[in-house]
Amino acid sequence: MPVVTLYFDRITSILGKKISKEKIVSTLPFIGLDIEEETKNYVNVEYSPNRPDYSTDYGIASSLQGLLGIKTGMPKLKIKKGKDVIIVNPSMRKIRPFVTAIEAKNGKLDDETIQQIIVMQEDLHNGIGRRRKKTSIGIHDLDKISFPLTYTTTSKNHKFIPLESSQEMTIHEILEKDETGIKYGHLVKNSKKAPIILDSNGHTISFPPIINSEQTKISKNTKNILVEITAIEKNAAEDTLAVIANILQDAGFELFSIKISGANNSTPLLKPRSMVLDAELVNKILGIKISIPKMVSALRKSRLNAQARGKKIVCTIPRYRTDIFGPMDLVEEVALGYGIENFEPTIPESISVGQKNKITTTLDSISSVMIGLGYSEVMNLGLVSQRILYDYTKRDASKIISVSDSKSQEHNILRDAILPGLIDTLSRNIHEPYPQMLFETGTIFLKNNDEIKEEIHLACVSARNDVSFTEIKSVLQSFLKTTFGLECKTVTSSNSMFIEGRSADIFVNNKIGEIGEILPEISDNFKLRVPIAGFEIRLTGLY
Amino acid sequence: MSQVLHPIEQKLLKSLLEKQNLTPEDLCEKTQLSIDQVRRGIEWLKFKELVQVNESEKNFVALGKMGNEAFEKGLPERQLVNYLKSIDGFSCEMSQAKNQLKNEFSPAIANAKKNGWIEIHENRILLKGYHDTTPEERIIKLIASKNPMVSSVDEIGDKSTLDSLKKRPEILNFTFTKYTTVNLTEKGIETAKNISSDTVDVLVRAIDVEAPAPTVFAARAHPLQDVINEVREIFVGLGFTEIVGNQTQSSFWNFDALFTPQDHPAREMQDTFYLKGLHAKNIGTKNQISNVSQVHKKGWRYDWKLEESKRLVLRTHTTCVTIKELADNRPEEARIFSIGRVFRNEKVSYKHLVEFNQVEGVVVGKNVSLRDLMGLQREFYLKMGMKKIKFWPTFFPYTEPSLQSMVYNEKLGKWVELFGMGIFRPEVTIPLGIKNPVLAWGGGIERIAMLKFGLDDVRELYNNNLGWLRNVSKCQ
Repeated sequence: MPVVTLYFDRITSILGKKISKEKIVSTLPFIGLDIEEETKNYVNVEYSPNRPDYSTDYGIASSLQGLLGIKTGMPKLKIKKGKDVIIVNPSMRKIRPFVTAIEAKNGKLDDETIQQIIVMQEDLHNGIGRRRKKTSIGIHDLDKISFPLTYTTTSKNHKFIPLESSQEMTIHEILEKDETGIKYGHLVKNSKKAPIILDSNGHTISFPPIINSEQTKISKNTKNILVEITAIEKNAAEDTLAVIANILQDAGFELFSIKISGANNSTPLLKPRSMVLDAELVNKILGIKISIPKMVSALRKSRLNAQARGKKIVCTIPRYRTDIFGPMDLVEEVALGYGIENFEPTIPESISVGQKNKITTTLDSISSVMIGLGYSEVMNLGLVSQRILYDYTKRDASKIISVSDSKSQEHNILRDAILPGLIDTLSRNIHEPYPQMLFETGTIFLKNNDEIKEEIHLACVSARNDVSFTEIKSVLQSFLKTTFGLECKTVTSSNSMFIEGRSADIFVNNKIGEIGEILPEISDNFKLRVPIAGFEIRLTGLY
Repeated sequence: MSQVLHPIEQKLLKSLLEKQNLTPEDLCEKTQLSIDQVRRGIEWLKFKELVQVNESEKNFVALGKMGNEAFEKGLPERQLVNYLKSIDGFSCEMSQAKNQLKNEFSPAIANAKKNGWIEIHENRILLKGYHDTTPEERIIKLIASKNPMVSSVDEIGDKSTLDSLKKRPEILNFTFTKYTTVNLTEKGIETAKNISSDTVDVLVRAIDVEAPAPTVFAARAHPLQDVINEVREIFVGLGFTEIVGNQTQSSFWNFDALFTPQDHPAREMQDTFYLKGLHAKNIGTKNQISNVSQVHKKGWRYDWKLEESKRLVLRTHTTCVTIKELADNRPEEARIFSIGRVFRNEKVSYKHLVEFNQVEGVVVGKNVSLRDLMGLQREFYLKMGMKKIKFWPTFFPYTEPSLQSMVYNEKLGKWVELFGMGIFRPEVTIPLGIKNPVLAWGGGIERIAMLKFGLDDVRELYNNNLGWLRNVSKCQ
């Protein structure tokens, strides 16, 4: 989850009221933030990407103002009508159809504000922008741009100086050599042409969704800003713009609209929405009985506007609150504004008698029988390595089930048997006293005609100097008899894991498993020096 | 402390104090103990460094078949002499003697002649005279007197007679044997001198009760399984019925049914394990699929794809099992829970595993509320022995409102984040025909186990280190 750094001196000045550090830190969790790290000067908080407005300290401060009662109700976005224009070329329709933009003027940027904006841009790219696929953001120095801008396509031989570079590069070169180009190049790979924003002098402003031009980079001296968002979905573009517009307004900029024209695009309005909330629903879901004025006050503390209309409340929701889908989201806003700490927990009367699942009670019995036989339980993961499951044990890997892109080579195959994991367990305990008698029950996975089947298995091993087939067969017989009242037959077989002549299939009507003494060669692979005997059976079908 | 000696040890020491260099057999004779008791006692004393055991080799001799016969009836030559003595004139025909002595006739004649006891004339045997005892007879008698013990060749002496007996078949059996003799050490002599005679015959033997006994390990369930069982018992006690489901699930039930859009970052391969090349055939009823797709298109404004929802994943939570159960049965009232493995594609570290156990409970009811959810939570923690809890708002894609619970851990002296909870969003319940509110909460069991066992690395729970599994106490 994304992280924002809150400096206490900055947050105090944004809040507009002196609030103690302790009060700030203790209030943060109640607006939905997790505290990651706290120092003398700052606190790092983690926020959920469903609240893109928390991507800077300005957005967080706005919520704090509400809950602390400094400022309540919806922050109003003031956008003056501007005169600049972006023209969208119809050729964009099939590539990245939408653009939206706003101007923020007459402000000041300091180092920390620039830092906050850079982090915000990255977080919005990853979250609401779905790693730049859905929306991507360009923030520019407005004074270096001459209008009108054109959002159009260009050849991949088009050249400009990309951000943080000193020389011109073609689009091709950017996609091949530049770090950002390599990372996001797949987003423009399918098209021969590339999206581009050009100014009236033909200067490149941006190559969305990959990189901006160096020429329009913002700095401490920037007074006027252009924000442009390109997108494959119009609403998402305007949502993103709304978040950034609010932040820039809070940072002291004046906002001016930019006219967008052509090819299904339109000038963004960033208007708030209205939603009707049933007061009864609030009390029912939260399990409380509070009055409508109290609900209105709670909603305002959550930085929404609210007005009572009989038994209903009309709520006004700012555009940047993209997380509010319907009335239930407003119920939560009431809860937050009312204060989660003010809810006294209650217990609903039980209407039912609880019960364990049959599989659970069976596994409980199985475990107690195995323990009675002197075997201790171990637990391994279902995601294992090819090395343990197939290579070391020489098992047939033709029906291997792998997962895509595992971050760990030790966990990229689903186990189709438990026994290999038990041998691995023995190999990790060579320094522990023998005998070692272990069992495990758990899910295994089988692939048949591209379909997955899950079964529950039991496997056990006995490792000791005088271990024998007979000993482990006695355990098997006793286990089946004691647990299920079943008799089994063992029929000579050959198995890649067992010694020839000490290997058998286990039958209870049908074949249910295999038993034998582990081949010395396999023990060697696991660096084990002690004789091992074991069995594995399918439990599914036995109970 | 003074050394505690077993009565066997005391007897052996006393015997050895009287005479050193005894064999175990000698000690049997002297102490009237069985050979097993003597051997055991020697081992104990050796371990305590009170005696020294020396290995030696020795020739032994015992009577053979003929030797035993000779001992009973006399050697053949003696039998011949006795026969002749019983006849008038002290002589007989050869054939008469042959009848009398049968197989022993030849050695009888030969040896009687050698001893100068008889003369033979024209087929008649004549007794000339005899000795009362021959050296051979003396030796046979000596050996017989020790029976069933064997006699040492050295002790018998008279090597020439033994040699001559050796030539006669089956009279003597010689054996070459290794044997041990036992000596007292200096410490042993001291100890033996201090044994008072009246303690020797105590009936209940004393043992060294202060000495450590060997370690044995109890077979047992895995400690994590104990915690899982404890959690399960609490849910059952609170009136919840357990459901189980597959660990491999379609994306539809793991994500789509839970209002998680198909382009949501959580669905990417960095976070979720997809099964390579595998798709679910049937994911749900026509109605379920079409309703879920509608709510995605309306709520998230994107092109919802059926193919994407068929991709098989390793479930990232047990909620997929819960929601399918609710969608298929649409209960108006219910208390159900599930416990099982869930998977996350994360780098394994002290904090994260690719696979862990999750518990999840839901309550469906017409009048259930957020405060009830908080109350059930508090009840659960109380039963787990966690008394101080608090709630914070949080976010989950499929619940609204959503809370997270914090529990104060006495051992660590700090608040620890435990279960998450919330009420299923209408976007989740309505498309699947679930009418009443659904309270849901859950979280990882490993975290609880770590607090319980004082672990700071989650991997330790799955290392199966027997040193830990065998020694961690079951009641915590």
